[in-house]
Amino acid sequence: MNQEEAELISRCQKGDQEALKEIFDRYREKVYRIAYGVVRHREDALDIVQEVFVKLYRSIGNYRGQSSFYTYVYRMAMNTAIDFTRRRKKFTASSLDEEGAFQPPDVPEKRPEAILIDKELEEKVNGAMAKLPEDQRAAVIYREVEGLSYQEMAQTMGCSIGTVMSRLHYGRKRLQKLLKGYMKEGGRA
Amino acid sequence: MKKSILLITLVLILSLPLSVTALAQVQARIRIIQASNTGTTVDESLRDVYRELGSLFNFTSYRLMKDLDLNLVGNKPQTVPLHGNRSLEVTLVGEYKKMAELRLRIFRGGTTVLNTQVRLAPGRTVIVGGPKHGDGVAIFAISAGF
Amino acid sequence: MKDSCSRPLKLLGKYLDGEATDQEKELVGNHLRECQACQAELNSMKELRTLIATPVEEAARQEDFPWVWQKIERQIRAQEKPSWLQSLRERLSLSPFLRRRVWVPALAVALLVVAAAPFLLKITSSPAAASVVVYVESQTNNVMVYESETGPETAVVIWLFEEPGDESSPT
Repeated sequence: MNQEEAELISRCQKGDQEALKEIFDRYREKVYRIAYGVVRHREDALDIVQEVFVKLYRSIGNYRGQSSFYTYVYRMAMNTAIDFTRRRKKFTASSLDEEGAFQPPDVPEKRPEAILIDKELEEKVNGAMAKLPEDQRAAVIYREVEGLSYQEMAQTMGCSIGTVMSRLHYGRKRLQKLLKGYMKEGGRA
Repeated sequence: MKKSILLITLVLILSLPLSVTALAQVQARIRIIQASNTGTTVDESLRDVYRELGSLFNFTSYRLMKDLDLNLVGNKPQTVPLHGNRSLEVTLVGEYKKMAELRLRIFRGGTTVLNTQVRLAPGRTVIVGGPKHGDGVAIFAISAGF
Repeated sequence: MKDSCSRPLKLLGKYLDGEATDQEKELVGNHLRECQACQAELNSMKELRTLIATPVEEAARQEDFPWVWQKIERQIRAQEKPSWLQSLRERLSLSPFLRRRVWVPALAVALLVVAAAPFLLKITSSPAAASVVVYVESQTNNVMVYESETGPETAVVIWLFEEPGDESSPT
């Protein structure tokens, strides 16, 4: 962490919202990418971004520099996104067909067929990601979306590099199996 | 002893119904929404009014642009700046049969383009809309709590 | 699966992620030149990465985070507002929960008053009334008021019709 960021964090810990705004500007895209990687939905991802920075402001007093700041932010983003999906599962499971349940309008979109197929594949990928255990999903997102190194992933996830590799390996394998038939390259089972 | 008498007196006053103390203050919630036919986005935060919006309008997309809470005090207007040199002025003008009477005015530059007075029961929403906003229109969902 | 594929396959993830040692890179690189099956597996992993990452990158690139900061500020402000009880306590410098001799009889009196209030003050509850438009006027535009039944209560909409020339771009 450089001196400038350390000062920003210190100011934020004292309640300086301008400092939080600067942190927001620096990290909003990273947090959004993590959130979107988990929920694959724009509005939900934006809600998660909002939640993350409010939580950050409330809890930044607990940050003592034991890990790098981006690790702290990434972890908060991932945990918040996963909590969101857990809450969402409860909501949709209990109220999907109830009167008054919130349903976005079902408006058919006119798209060229090529894009339709891609959209279908994207939905398959979203569905497959949702089926992964949370730790494997987190590993896949940190690596494939954010490009973190194994070392960075280990710090963020609070585990060994060996565990990181194992989660990544099984996560990828499971996704390949779930998406078999939708991908161009066959790969090995 | 003095403090316990004060506390009891306060509790007695607070237990009196609002109509006896008169409607001196109202919390107004103003949500500024962009409605359009571009895309199918409906902001999650508009869930509570979506049914109403969906039954009234044929727009496919509703995005929350601003969500404000105003503390309205009798006859003291409060102004919310809007897009395109417009503003929305809200004034608590009185009370009528347990409803808050609000005057709503939309200005464009120095011109009053809309002047209306509505009565709102607690928690009820009135919708004012029509000003162009980007590729859609602006809708103001105004509700009062008291 | 050939025996010779066993070790390179295990290292394929590290190779793809740029985490392999020089020795491991050489082993895998040499094997890939000769083994189409393992090459296909590597391509499959690359394709998977594209499928996972591309929509996210697209979404992040197009995102302008409208109003997110304002919502964050608002939420922080709402959470920092002291509750009415806290404000009241500060003003009266009372700690009612620490003074049992005060709050127990006070609470009893309060409950009595609340229970008796309807009889004492003859309060009758009236049914919730829908919103009512008292008047609407516009000297510059056409206005329409209409109502819609969306449940037990009536929704009221006041619509201002703007001409094309009235459009302004959003700020």
